Amino acid sequence: MSKSGFDWLKFRIAVVVVILGFLFVLVLMRAFQVQVLEGSRLLAKANDQHVRTVKVPPERGGIYDRNLEEIAVSMEVASVYAQPPRIDDTRFSSRVVAASLSLDQDSVRKKLSSKRNFVWLKRQVDLSSEKRAELTKLSGIGIVKESRRFYPNKYMSANLVGFTGLDANGLEGVELYFEEYLRGETRKVKASRDATGRLLFYEDVEDSSKGMNVVLTIDRAIQYIAEKALSKAIESSGSIAGTAIVMDPSTGEVLAMANHPTFDANDFTSYTPAEWRNRAVTDTFEPGSVVKAFLLAAALEEGVVKPNDIIFCENGEYEVKGATFHDTKEHGWLTVSNVIKKSSNIGALKIGEKLGSVKYYEYLKYFGFGEKTGIELPGDNSGSLPHYDKWSGITRDTLSFGQGMSVTALQLVSAMSAIANKGELLKPRIVKSIVSPNGDVVEEFGVDQVVNVISEETAKEVLEILSSVTEDGGTGERAAIGGIKVAGKTATAQKPDFVKGGYKKDSYVVSFIGAVPADDPKLVIFVSLDEPGAVKESEQYISGGSIAAPAFREIAQESLSYLGVFSGNEVDGEGSSKAPAITASVKKAGKEERARIINYGMLPDFTGMSMRKVLELAKSSAVEVEFSGSGVAIKQSVEPGSSLRGLDKVSVVFQ
Amino acid sequence: MIDKRQIMQTDMLLLGAMICLSVIGVVAIYSATFAQGPYYSTRQLYWLLFGLIVIIPIIIIDYMVYERLAYVIYALCIITLVAVLIIGHKVGGAQRWINLGFASFQPSEFAKIAFTLALARYLSLRPPVHGGMGLRQLVVPGLIMVVPFLLIAKEPDLGTGLIFVFIFCSMMIINKIRLKTIIIIFFGLAAMFPLAWMQLKGYQQARLLSFIDPSRDPLGSGYHLHQSKIAIGSGGLFGTGFTESKQASLRFLPEHHTDFIFPVLAEEWGLIGSFVVLALFQIFIMRGINAALNAKDRFGFLLAFGLTSMIFWHMSINIAMVTGLLPVVGVPLPFLSYGGSFLLTTLISSALIINISMRKYILG
Repeated sequence: MSKSGFDWLKFRIAVVVVILGFLFVLVLMRAFQVQVLEGSRLLAKANDQHVRTVKVPPERGGIYDRNLEEIAVSMEVASVYAQPPRIDDTRFSSRVVAASLSLDQDSVRKKLSSKRNFVWLKRQVDLSSEKRAELTKLSGIGIVKESRRFYPNKYMSANLVGFTGLDANGLEGVELYFEEYLRGETRKVKASRDATGRLLFYEDVEDSSKGMNVVLTIDRAIQYIAEKALSKAIESSGSIAGTAIVMDPSTGEVLAMANHPTFDANDFTSYTPAEWRNRAVTDTFEPGSVVKAFLLAAALEEGVVKPNDIIFCENGEYEVKGATFHDTKEHGWLTVSNVIKKSSNIGALKIGEKLGSVKYYEYLKYFGFGEKTGIELPGDNSGSLPHYDKWSGITRDTLSFGQGMSVTALQLVSAMSAIANKGELLKPRIVKSIVSPNGDVVEEFGVDQVVNVISEETAKEVLEILSSVTEDGGTGERAAIGGIKVAGKTATAQKPDFVKGGYKKDSYVVSFIGAVPADDPKLVIFVSLDEPGAVKESEQYISGGSIAAPAFREIAQESLSYLGVFSGNEVDGEGSSKAPAITASVKKAGKEERARIINYGMLPDFTGMSMRKVLELAKSSAVEVEFSGSGVAIKQSVEPGSSLRGLDKVSVVFQ
Repeated sequence: MIDKRQIMQTDMLLLGAMICLSVIGVVAIYSATFAQGPYYSTRQLYWLLFGLIVIIPIIIIDYMVYERLAYVIYALCIITLVAVLIIGHKVGGAQRWINLGFASFQPSEFAKIAFTLALARYLSLRPPVHGGMGLRQLVVPGLIMVVPFLLIAKEPDLGTGLIFVFIFCSMMIINKIRLKTIIIIFFGLAAMFPLAWMQLKGYQQARLLSFIDPSRDPLGSGYHLHQSKIAIGSGGLFGTGFTESKQASLRFLPEHHTDFIFPVLAEEWGLIGSFVVLALFQIFIMRGINAALNAKDRFGFLLAFGLTSMIFWHMSINIAMVTGLLPVVGVPLPFLSYGGSFLLTTLISSALIINISMRKYILG
């Protein structure tokens, strides 16, 4: 190599080294720029494409009755979908799908060959594990777990409890009102998303959070009793609708709230919104003569009348300011008590006269009319009670027998409960407590006093007078229960004709409201029937006393015996430990019916039954049965007909 | 053939950089494919151990032997390159591999060495005329380059083909070439560019276009680059940590164990990690140039320089590519990217440089 050539080489090497150094620095600077200068921006971009927050729907809390019997529960069910583009063999797949989901094969095939990327095949089905495996084997068919609301009692308390939509959101009733508690927290789970969109979870998704459980004040047994009595009354009277409410007056707790028509909450879409409605709180009607009880309470409290004051009832016809008022029966002089007992409109009108418009209005307000009851249910209707400033010449007179105002069934029960509760108006309650998924009571709803309407003495006097209603000669004698004093009031109110004005002919709302036992009311029960029609053909006279009172009696009797208010010889002449009403109906009913009737409230007579039958019955009565021997039941440790209250175990001997 | 003194002359820095980078490579592949399991990293480790054994005889045998065999090796390589076009198997549309049963190998990788050997041999026998090489002197070297280039471009493997051009240019410049010749070639190529563009496959054109405006189509052609930058950027100064590359594990970054291993490394170890790797490369390259400068003969000088430039261009193009300085052309990162043939090629190249450097003094 020549010397000059070597110098050239050195020069070129130097150039190369400089270039290398320059490129090295360039690359390093680039790394610095991307990693440090643009680092945070690119990191944000990275998180944006990696991290996904996925909402895990919580499991909806259950709804229970006061004895923690299930009324609404959530079950995990499967929803089956298809991704049509990923289906291999449409013919085969549609055959398998149709067979395992019991769907029409043609419609399934249509769905599977559609151009959409995703179609539901069937939502919320209960799939056996074999069917599940069969379906998941098919490509393009998938199953997701969904929570489905299940109402084990079907029609029972459906109007009250309401229902949920497909997304487990409360749509009606308690389900709607307590949505926030029941629904629970939607858990947010951070997941990584890969480039194909699949999610990788770091936390356990299965472990979804649970909503709170709602414990109602409802007693399922009393609810059943009320619904049974109501539907019987509806059927026999040919009414279009009806309501029955049972309340514990000392607490304001609603023990039963029955409506007709009702619906199967598991299949609510097959019914109309009119059938969903909880008429007991949403629908108003003119109360009619029931109001006389509150008029009486106000008049006694104000001292404008005494129970034995006598009032001239004008022999059935009375003209006030050009309007003529009638009684259904002609009455002459009646004591104040008898005005109520006979339900004289003219007598009531005259009591109203003595009380005066302002006072009457105030008392009606105190009793809660024209105000929302505050119950924890959607659609709580205030009804209407016009202010006395707006009253015309005869408004007070018509209001004296319950025309010119509208009320809800619940308002009436609540107001009557005030009388039954020593004059104190309590807020009606439907929910007892909110219980967390692990069983802790989160919120307890206690007695909520609204106002003291009348004194204890007045309340007692009113109950005494109302007791005469169910005695011989009273309008509500059919509500009488042997051995127990019943304070009540009938009402037969004409329905207003909103089209023509005035009142409809032969269109009534008949009702009965009562407190039992009158001396120390444990229950306030209200029954109303809307437009009873079928009775017209029979010789029966349409009235609260003839139609609603018997239903009231049935509910009162069975509920009281269930609650154990009837006990020992306190009852009537038979002197047995069995409740008289039950005994009577048991005698009439066949063996099957007998078991069923007794089932709600009392211990059935197991004798002669198979083990399986005994087990079934015991299960529905929530009584633990201890078996001994085998064959047919011959003996049981607790007498049949005993109250189920406080009874948790019974041993049955078989032979 | 070798004596104690030569062993003492072994360039420990270069050897150390090589081993460090190779081990980092295995670890980086393990981390990048963590979500997929240790398949790739295990294979890479086996290749590395195999390679380290293979290079021992390559270091021991005097490079004069290779000098004599250079054309033979070159011819054998051309034959395998032809063979790959006939019997090679296709992966992702490219026919680059020959299946040996237990493993596939990529002749184009080994062709880089063979080509460099042949070129060094040819140039060492023809010292440059005064003033440097003219166009006429470039014909034969050009042919030595163009034959494998065309065969590889046919596979197609644009990235590898490009490396041939870069090595060729580097060696020509170091061998002294006339400035006039450079200018002529430059304008000649520029004139031929539209013609070359027509020869490019659709995806190759798209890559070049997306390089010009990568954000234009982040989910399409620019996707690689976009995701690569996100990976490098989200590493920040200190990185996300071993096996914590989200871009790789969530499969946003394609080819995260091969061409795009550097973004994974940068994401996991941050700027610090990037710097360490670049520094190791710099050590390797400086020692490689040092080996060339101190070579005892012209062949050794040209071969060491050519092989060093090969490593350098791979490294530079790869990192420039993944950081968005160059279009995505499919050039792997030496020592780090997954691939047996490529690892073996870089190890053998390193071995040859070491071979040259340890024989820098003519010994008795």
